[in-house]
Amino acid sequence: MNANAFLIKTIAQKDNHIFTIEWADGIAHDYRLSSVQKQCPCAGCNDEITGKKLLDEKSIKEDVRAVRIVNVGRYALRIQFTLGCSNGIYGFDMLRKMVGVHHA
Amino acid sequence: MPLQMYQEQKSPPKPKIKNIIGIAAGKGGVGKSTITVNLALTLKQLGYSVGVLDTDIYGPSIRKMLPEDRMPTQKGELIAPALCQGIKMISMAYFRKENEAAVVRAPIANGLIKQFLNNVEWGNLDFLLIDFPPGTGDIQLTISQQAHLTCALMVTTPQDVAVMDVRKAMNMFNQVKIPVIGVVENMSYFLQQSNQEKVYIFGKGGGERLARESEIPFLGAIPLDPKICASGDQGKSMYSDENHPAVAPFKELAKNFIGHLDLLSSQHDHLQAFELVWKEVSAS
Repeated sequence: MNANAFLIKTIAQKDNHIFTIEWADGIAHDYRLSSVQKQCPCAGCNDEITGKKLLDEKSIKEDVRAVRIVNVGRYALRIQFTLGCSNGIYGFDMLRKMVGVHHA
Repeated sequence: MPLQMYQEQKSPPKPKIKNIIGIAAGKGGVGKSTITVNLALTLKQLGYSVGVLDTDIYGPSIRKMLPEDRMPTQKGELIAPALCQGIKMISMAYFRKENEAAVVRAPIANGLIKQFLNNVEWGNLDFLLIDFPPGTGDIQLTISQQAHLTCALMVTTPQDVAVMDVRKAMNMFNQVKIPVIGVVENMSYFLQQSNQEKVYIFGKGGGERLARESEIPFLGAIPLDPKICASGDQGKSMYSDENHPAVAPFKELAKNFIGHLDLLSSQHDHLQAFELVWKEVSAS
């Protein structure tokens, strides 16, 4: 049934700058909003042809917060940040790579 | 008199619907609507509560195949679906005159789909079957992102030309991580009345090959039969004729479909939809 995908079991705010995802396979990870925003995959933050990063990571405030986080279908989430770019759709695959463990 | 459309309103996901199934092919003419209607009627026969959402804005055909006993109604910005032989249904066909074309660009069509997804009061349902429009474009992506699909059921006909496009639609579902529950082959064979021999008019085994190569279940084969066509054209349920040739194949399809859906449900313990609203946390 080719549902070989990362799925979220729970998602919760940990403090003003961090949220925690518990993945369906039991792995949990804390995500700092500024670290996630530095990986923004949107077309404005990356050159779509070359893949070169256009976003200056230094422009991301370490204390950036979120307004809300919502799912995009069953494959990604979208974060409305208080500052900076909120256009990115953060795929679950990408978020899992930030844990450092990739699904086989 | 066509109903007036309201502006899209935000509303929460619909937890009262147990299974939301996308019925798709990636191409037109394979019989997605025929499969949707007859699978809905079969699930209803089996005692389930069923809804049908026809998302083909440009060529909605389900209203003709499943005529309403009660028209949809509007309460403020919410739409109560039509009732058709005990099946709840919403379609663009209720909002246009029969021969009037929906001449709208993609953003408008997307807005209409979002209203269907967010503003229809389905109530408690075991199954909501979403009849996808052909293609793998903007509308299909909107449905995939916003309809909280449990899985997709692929419809194909046996010939390679059809299978090729269905494969692309399956690829789209793989990209958006929606599990494909299986393949059903429509217009699979013609049963000759004289000798009960099956004639494979469009070739043999395309659907099974697709299922095998994609490692997904083959859920059933529906025959090519004038009675199926007539049921659709006349808006009559195949269950009104106990000798209808489609009853047995659709019951087999429904049995396989429900079996694999149970299997899929048991595999996942995860959030279907969420909204995390950020709060100020004071330092302790």
